Amino acid sequence: MARHKKTFTVGWLYPDLMNIYGDRGNILTLLKRAEWRDFEARLIELGRGSSKRMDEVDIFFFGGGQDREQALVYEDLLETKQAPLERAVTAGAGVLAVCGGYQLLGHYYQTGEGERFPGIGMIDVRTDAGKRRFIGDVIVDTSLVDVQPPTLVGFENHSGRTFLGPKAKPLGRVRMGFGNNGEDHTEGCLQGGVIGTYLHGSLLPKNPHLADHLIRSALKRRGITELVPLDDAAELAAHEKILARAKTPDGPRAQR
Amino acid sequence: MRRTAAVWAGKATGALSRISRRGGGTTLPGDVARAIDPDVLRKLSRDLKHGAVVITGTNGKTTTSRLISWLLEGAGHSVVSNRAGANLIFGATAAALERAGVNGRLQADWGVFEIDEASLERAVDEIQPRAAIVLNLFRDQLDRYGELESIAKRIETAMSHLPEQSRAVLNADDPRVAEIGMNLTRKPLWFGLDDTSVAMRELPHAADARTCPRCGASLQFDAVYVGHDGVYRCPNGDFARPAPEIAATHIVLTGFESLAMDVDGAHIELPLGGLYNCYNALAAFAAAISLGLDEAFIADRLRSVRAAFGRQERLEADGRRLNLVLSKNPAGFNETLRTAIDLAGGRYFLIGLNDRRADGTDVSWIWDVDFERLRGRAQVVVPAGNRANDLAVRLKYAGVEGAPPESDPARALNALISATPTGETAHLLCTYTAMLDLRTELVRRGWAKPYWET
Ligand SMILES: [Zn+2]
Repeated sequence: MARHKKTFTVGWLYPDLMNIYGDRGNILTLLKRAEWRDFEARLIELGRGSSKRMDEVDIFFFGGGQDREQALVYEDLLETKQAPLERAVTAGAGVLAVCGGYQLLGHYYQTGEGERFPGIGMIDVRTDAGKRRFIGDVIVDTSLVDVQPPTLVGFENHSGRTFLGPKAKPLGRVRMGFGNNGEDHTEGCLQGGVIGTYLHGSLLPKNPHLADHLIRSALKRRGITELVPLDDAAELAAHEKILARAKTPDGPRAQR
Repeated sequence: MRRTAAVWAGKATGALSRISRRGGGTTLPGDVARAIDPDVLRKLSRDLKHGAVVITGTNGKTTTSRLISWLLEGAGHSVVSNRAGANLIFGATAAALERAGVNGRLQADWGVFEIDEASLERAVDEIQPRAAIVLNLFRDQLDRYGELESIAKRIETAMSHLPEQSRAVLNADDPRVAEIGMNLTRKPLWFGLDDTSVAMRELPHAADARTCPRCGASLQFDAVYVGHDGVYRCPNGDFARPAPEIAATHIVLTGFESLAMDVDGAHIELPLGGLYNCYNALAAFAAAISLGLDEAFIADRLRSVRAAFGRQERLEADGRRLNLVLSKNPAGFNETLRTAIDLAGGRYFLIGLNDRRADGTDVSWIWDVDFERLRGRAQVVVPAGNRANDLAVRLKYAGVEGAPPESDPARALNALISATPTGETAHLLCTYTAMLDLRTELVRRGWAKPYWET
């Protein structure tokens, strides 16, 4: 009997509308890192109106969008995605939500005029509009314990100020950059299989340890606890380069 | 009086900065002159004998400006035009200053100005152009420009303030540009491609603006030419590509060497390659028609045009041919890759990525470029620029075996030259300042001329 490959499935929420900050890099990284470990990696694109096979997904990815697109997504998220997404996460699937996706999974987004756009409340975070945009390189000391190196690097570009409630733990503390809100030094959130963050750049290619953390966590429910190590020299060199230039006296901002 | 002082101060600054060779004196004189007389560009523009043309859009501004200048000059006119990379209001001011006489008056028949999307409103107000061209709106430098939507709104405001006798010349194939045109009170002159033999079936990953502005449904594409530019319609029937008056058919693309197409009964050939240059040529054609030039003359004159600096610049280097192509965002990069691989059969590559201000400080966009196209086709790919390491990772995930990343331009160039056999062509696809860095090295080796001499 032929040996069937183990499958690994990524579900991309709104690939056409929520795909602004090189989000494809995160998708490619998850798929390739599974493929290189001899999994049959599959991608399910979950556009508007589609909730097919969401129960097969190991990791959902929810990226950033422009305001116009984000508004189009919201209604569909409530109608066709929220229930199956919650079911999948309860069953052990993981979620990586970046920027706009991160905000939409929280309680609400409040504009400068006080108007509230409710999110789906899967994570205990709320977001207020800010005047100034936070733009630039970010270095985070992560609170994840099973990752090495203990840093995450990325790029942020957001005006939303996100604050965590008691159920959400920060993904890390910013060493450089603004993070969630520019006030409390936190960046991103961790809550029951969901990782929310403002980091793109893209995020996962330069943080292969975070990619593997996601994959490992999602596969736990299928009894897989260890991943075959990969050669991450190229990825970690790019990671290290960001750390190194932050240490130079004129810093990454001054050199431009 | 004030204007004369402004012109003189600006000109002196220009001379000094050229001597010190800090970027060929492209914008600083504009800053100085505008500080003395904020209305200096408005006043200088009024001196233009026939008027001005402004060109905006994410990709193709420099080439299109070059083509229009070339056409007007060929018709016996003197033309003042801003240099590549100096497309903010200061750059346009600097260009006008350079051509102003001792009396502070601008002596030229036409102004042809490429204008950054974010500066268009001010440029239209001050220059009062006879024609304004919008080429396309792609995702580009979100860190600096913000979202596509806010840029589109600003362009729309600018276009609605065009003077009465002025013509908007718009790309019908770009959904977001079309939306701008449909909201204008006076009908624009639409241009577009009508040849499905050069079209793709599916939108590339880098596409944006794929939803209907009226009802939000996803647009359906019958043809995709460049990025999200193509023939599109809303499935609900409330929005569709406007029929272009200036349409290109029978398109023939020959590598980076040349392109040919039929426009309105005229047969056009020019020594620039790639489908994106069909749009640039078509935009120039449409603008020239709207300014009263003759079709046969345009077609004849385009045959002998030369590429602008860093846009398909061809050089000789130690027995190899180098092809320099500015590639600065996903839509542009995908097209230059497609041209280099599919049309020119390119096998030797250097990809340069910098993250300085002029390049965009966010390099996330490289993940939207289809580097997968190089897989199994490229013999060597040298990742260069100050973000060479990010490119190396991108290539790895594209299944492309790249050379070791090399952020030093001289060493990157050495790696490329030693991997390219004598007599072969290497393609250097770079972001703006990565191109400048490489060019500095090429000049140092005597393989290229300084850019203020090109
Ligand atoms: Zn519609």
